[in-house]
Amino acid sequence: MLTGDEYRASVRDGRTSFLSGERVDNASEHRLLGVSVDWVARTYDRLQGEGSSAQSPLFDAPTTPAELASQMELLTASDPTAAITAGCMSLSRVAPALALLNPDYAERLGRVLESVRQEDHRVAAAHTDLGAFGVVGRTADGVVVRGAKQHVLGAAVVHDLVVVPEGDLLEGQTDAAIAFMIPVNTPGVKIVSVTTAPLSEDDRHFPISREYSMADATVLFDDVVVPNERIFLDGETAEAGSLAKTFGLWERARGAADQADRAELLLGLAYTIADMNGLTDVAHIREKLSRLAVYANLCRAGWESALAHAQPASDGAMVPDESAVYAALAYGTDLYSRMVAIVHDVGGASTITAPTVADYENEATRGYVEKYMSTGNNVRGEDRMKVFHLIRDLTADRYSGWLKVTNQMLGGGVLAQQLAALDHYPLTHAQDSVRAAAHI
Amino acid sequence: MMTGDEYRESLRDGRMSFLDGELIDDHATHPLLRAAVDGAAASYDRHFSDDAGARNPLYDIPKTAEDLEKRAELYHHLDMSAHVTGTALMALITVAPELGKVNPKYHERIQNFYNYCRDNDLRCAEVVTDAKGHRKQRPIEQDDPDQYVHVVSRSDEGIVIRGAKLHISAAPLVHEQVIIPTKGMRPGEEAYALCCSVPTNAPGVTIINTTYAPHGDDLRHFPVSGQSNTPEGFVVFDDVFVPAERVFLDGEVEYASSVARALGLWERVGSIMAGDGADRLVGTAQLFAEANGIAERKDVQTKLANLAIYATIVRSAWHAAQANSEVNADGALVPSPLYISAFRYFQANMRQEIQDLIHEIAGSLTVNAPTMADFEQPELQDGLRAALETPGFSAEDRLRMNHHLRDTTADAYGGWGDITSSLAGGGMAAQQVTVLGLYDMDRARTMARESMGLDSERDVHTAASSTTD
Repeated sequence: MLTGDEYRASVRDGRTSFLSGERVDNASEHRLLGVSVDWVARTYDRLQGEGSSAQSPLFDAPTTPAELASQMELLTASDPTAAITAGCMSLSRVAPALALLNPDYAERLGRVLESVRQEDHRVAAAHTDLGAFGVVGRTADGVVVRGAKQHVLGAAVVHDLVVVPEGDLLEGQTDAAIAFMIPVNTPGVKIVSVTTAPLSEDDRHFPISREYSMADATVLFDDVVVPNERIFLDGETAEAGSLAKTFGLWERARGAADQADRAELLLGLAYTIADMNGLTDVAHIREKLSRLAVYANLCRAGWESALAHAQPASDGAMVPDESAVYAALAYGTDLYSRMVAIVHDVGGASTITAPTVADYENEATRGYVEKYMSTGNNVRGEDRMKVFHLIRDLTADRYSGWLKVTNQMLGGGVLAQQLAALDHYPLTHAQDSVRAAAHI
Repeated sequence: MMTGDEYRESLRDGRMSFLDGELIDDHATHPLLRAAVDGAAASYDRHFSDDAGARNPLYDIPKTAEDLEKRAELYHHLDMSAHVTGTALMALITVAPELGKVNPKYHERIQNFYNYCRDNDLRCAEVVTDAKGHRKQRPIEQDDPDQYVHVVSRSDEGIVIRGAKLHISAAPLVHEQVIIPTKGMRPGEEAYALCCSVPTNAPGVTIINTTYAPHGDDLRHFPVSGQSNTPEGFVVFDDVFVPAERVFLDGEVEYASSVARALGLWERVGSIMAGDGADRLVGTAQLFAEANGIAERKDVQTKLANLAIYATIVRSAWHAAQANSEVNADGALVPSPLYISAFRYFQANMRQEIQDLIHEIAGSLTVNAPTMADFEQPELQDGLRAALETPGFSAEDRLRMNHHLRDTTADAYGGWGDITSSLAGGGMAAQQVTVLGLYDMDRARTMARESMGLDSERDVHTAASSTTD
């Protein structure tokens, strides 16, 4: 198992990485990308103390509902590359289907996954095409791929990229039916990152994004040579869609679990500010808080339903109920903006106009900030100022914009989440209910 | 009239203005405030004339529907400091006749102040929202009496005020801070029934600013907020002297709400006049649908239709507000508060839903698009061009589109817009109260009774009375 420092050293591997047009040779020491590296490193250090010494608990496959709940707690407490890596490991579930196409595929997939496990690597998932993506050449040793993938979360700070088709393909789209895993420092791989890490030198009024920003990326594949031993699908369109769906499960599951936590945080923020303002028993504030409470409850219920109805997958590993995961995501994302608007309504404009920590430290302004951010003898101005910083960072700034849009688009957007919930719903059961009620 | 450069120079007046813990030496050259000052200076230059008697059309008081339409057109090109100037002065002009009834000096002073600003081409902030302390307690019940700006002493020459006003748009960029009551006051709260104006550099005035202006040297991926932005001031009045000629209300509690209402109305009007925003949003969604190759998809067509319906209703509401305008005793035209408030509520209430629709069409590239600097990088340009180009849209087009959408809806400026749009003019609850108060409920109720075939009101009372007997 890697320590945080060993991980930091491991990403100095000559990868071709850019941020705002500038080459980044060492993400660990970069002011903005370093935020993401530090987050991953903290996960590594925390996992050192958990599980067996031989293998990171990240790679444990839960076999009981209790183990699944425990594994999800571990993933939600970790940086997102942990969940993506765990999702990548679940590709082993597709191996039997791949073996039917070509026995080599299953064997190669098993080897690359074992390599990730042995070396305690982190993986970024590249599935969403940006323009055309696929095989443009072949040699006896492998294939040459060209194109770009977007929204490759954490690409600049992980070790490997798992690349799969975006979704189902038509029969003739054989060049796009390519799946493989390669190190991020493979020649021709170019990572173009964006990040929500605060641009401000003084980032103390960004209490979340200064610690929990994961760099997102567009990854260019500029005639990248992929050796055969790393390819586990090449040309067979039939299984193309199943790969992204399979490894996306853990990312979606983490999304649903995170959503439940975030919904509670929204309620907590609105209640805290209402309490500081002395308004928790005012009718229109209670009405708003009640809507947030319903939202938090149902987001939590959706996620707990996914856990409660977990089923063993084909390899025996327990997985959350897909129908409930999609339904929770669709419900949560559909209402998220309205819930944020309620928090803003309760919080008021100080959300975006509260002075900064530096203002609080300046003797010329400190007294004013303390005096007028306070709402009475029992509420410290500094505390209230910091709550506003949290609301702004979480709901009304760069980090929140990225979070909102990427969550909305998780799984393809709200409509796609709704359709997936429909597809996974036990409709026969619903029909049986109708038959029984109608005495058919 | 002032030129833009003269305006820049006018800000170097010793004002006490802070940002991120530092006293601002020169607003015109500060990296995070320069764009805002430049925007204000451009508003000056756009209308500058050295003709004697020339004045910025901002100070023209609308008296006819055509005047109001012209004012709306003017607002499309105004920076925030000019925008809030128009709002603050129109609020004073609107309420001046009413205040004149309680004290003719108030009316006269407002008129003189208005002339002073117009003749010297000055900018004014609308300084409304108090710190407020405990929200359920009245100003005189607070642990700290300074939680609402109030008069702490009086003399023949003027008054001394203390307190703080928050969320004051463009506060460090203007010449006068026009203080307006945040709400109605009651007997016993005379010290808080206060409307006046003080110069920004008056002793005792301290402004602590925030801004959504982007950090960094390359502002191309902040195409809107990098070019045009506004600081928000936390304005402290620490025993500030206000000469009597700048005091427009002092102690008459029954008129505090009149001033607050007038300001709220013109805030709403201003934000409506400034925007062709709804139509621009529809166009934005259509462009993204085309660039992403999904314009013909059924679900996208449905989203576009919903956006077009929203924009059409927004425009209709503005037309209704104009058509139902009223004229005050001085002849100033005031758009219908009923329609303006209903419109503002509808627009703010729909904002999130409209943005969600656009994000759903635009996709996650909205927040993940590489920067223009990435595109200029020789190692990346060919790959990015191939990845981003779609029929009818170059790679640069798509980058600009996504940066624009992120900047305006999913970044700091977008967050500022979300919050200010819902809170301008007193917030959503204030719009509801205004609409309910102005709506002709009797007429609606009568219509309902008639359609239901109910007895007349008198018969109902008679019947109830005989039952009781």
